[in-house]
Amino acid sequence: MAINISNTKNRDAVVAFEAVVPKREVAFVDPKGKPVRTQKLLKTDIEHDLTALLKKKKDLNAVGKALVKDDPEIDLEHFGMTLTDTSRVYVSKKGIIHLVDEWEVLKNPDGETRERRQRQKQSQNINSDIPLRWSGKFIKKEDAAHKFIFTHKRQLIHVNGLTYDFLYEMAKELHERNSLMLLRGGEKGDQPIIMTRGAKPYNAFLEGRIDGDSYLLVLQLSNMELKRPPMSEPGAVATGSSTTKKSPAKTAKKK
Amino acid sequence: MAKELVLSLDGQRFSVSFRKIDREQIYGSIEIEAFDERAIRQLLVLAADGKTLLDKGGTALATLDEKGNSVERNTLKAVNLEGEELPVVESSFSVRNDLEVAHVDDYLAQLVKSVYVLDPFEGGDIDYLLDHLASGLIYRFPFSYRGGTEYDNAFVIGNGSEAFMIIGKQAKFQYSMLNQAARLDSIEEEEISGDDLDFDLF
Repeated sequence: MAINISNTKNRDAVVAFEAVVPKREVAFVDPKGKPVRTQKLLKTDIEHDLTALLKKKKDLNAVGKALVKDDPEIDLEHFGMTLTDTSRVYVSKKGIIHLVDEWEVLKNPDGETRERRQRQKQSQNINSDIPLRWSGKFIKKEDAAHKFIFTHKRQLIHVNGLTYDFLYEMAKELHERNSLMLLRGGEKGDQPIIMTRGAKPYNAFLEGRIDGDSYLLVLQLSNMELKRPPMSEPGAVATGSSTTKKSPAKTAKKK
Repeated sequence: MAKELVLSLDGQRFSVSFRKIDREQIYGSIEIEAFDERAIRQLLVLAADGKTLLDKGGTALATLDEKGNSVERNTLKAVNLEGEELPVVESSFSVRNDLEVAHVDDYLAQLVKSVYVLDPFEGGDIDYLLDHLASGLIYRFPFSYRGGTEYDNAFVIGNGSEAFMIIGKQAKFQYSMLNQAARLDSIEEEEISGDDLDFDLF
């Protein structure tokens, strides 16, 4: 995909914006030494899952008996089919619905509801008429590493000779300063970046490295500071698993 | 029950416990509720056939060979890029983990999988480690939670008086040269996670 970005002189250009994948050093092979792949399959649908069986049989004992006697949880025609190109849809008893009113329920870290508000889907701002801007805020790599968690990364790549020079110069400046540059979007250049309509915002920091005539420009994306959560003070029982308080089941209160 | 992870720095050993942290614990979360004119509606996954609907847990991952036949996972062998079989790695909880100084560029090249906050294990003392982290040093060691085929990278980093462990995988970066231009396409970026709070760190 494309990103519209400006440099320190406020010159802008549209360049490529690509996902970064992990470096693979291990592969898996079958007993014959041949490569294998993974494939997502249909395990069960909503007409055969436990909720559906409970509706039909009324209680768990009856479901258990039905499972022993027959195979009501299996649809031999469909289960095991490969799943590709799936979509997320809202569903009512009558089927798929296309027009819904979305509300956001904001919760505190302790799970308490703080606010309910109608969802506003903001437009993406990485490839619009207004380029992403260098904020002028250089942050030393060491400082940034100790302050933020960079949860996602994207790589910027030139699309022709002109944009090669454009991006190389950016990477060179960042490399020589040993710093990241905070990027901002929007007309006033004060917004975090949003990659698709309605997606969550990220603080974006541009990192540049050069090696001879080649360059590396990485957009380091962060939505989290490196700090101890208030509910995770020392002395609490420590485990390897998340301690996020799961929010209670969605309440179906009509607005 | 807390798990004990033994770290070693300059010959000194520290036992630490750790707790996974995420964004929701710091800032809270946002849930989306969808209504039509009648009631709240459920978000499900629709298969490509246009009629099969599935909920969470409705999918499975199968391992297939070249012909598309299912292969039992316990028969698989882990090999390196040269095709040589790899030894099984031990769980980091069963060994001493020697910390090595890491460069910030290596840290920034990680695709983060999880973040943990570190505490002394059962009232122990990790001041020596905290002092070194406070000076800005970052340390690394190979990490595997359960043992298995390969290690992740664990980086131990400080902020103020706190110590954190960031688990990740090395990103596959490629330096770009003049003759390696990319092609622009109109494919939309996929949303990389769910909904979240807007926030401003600055």
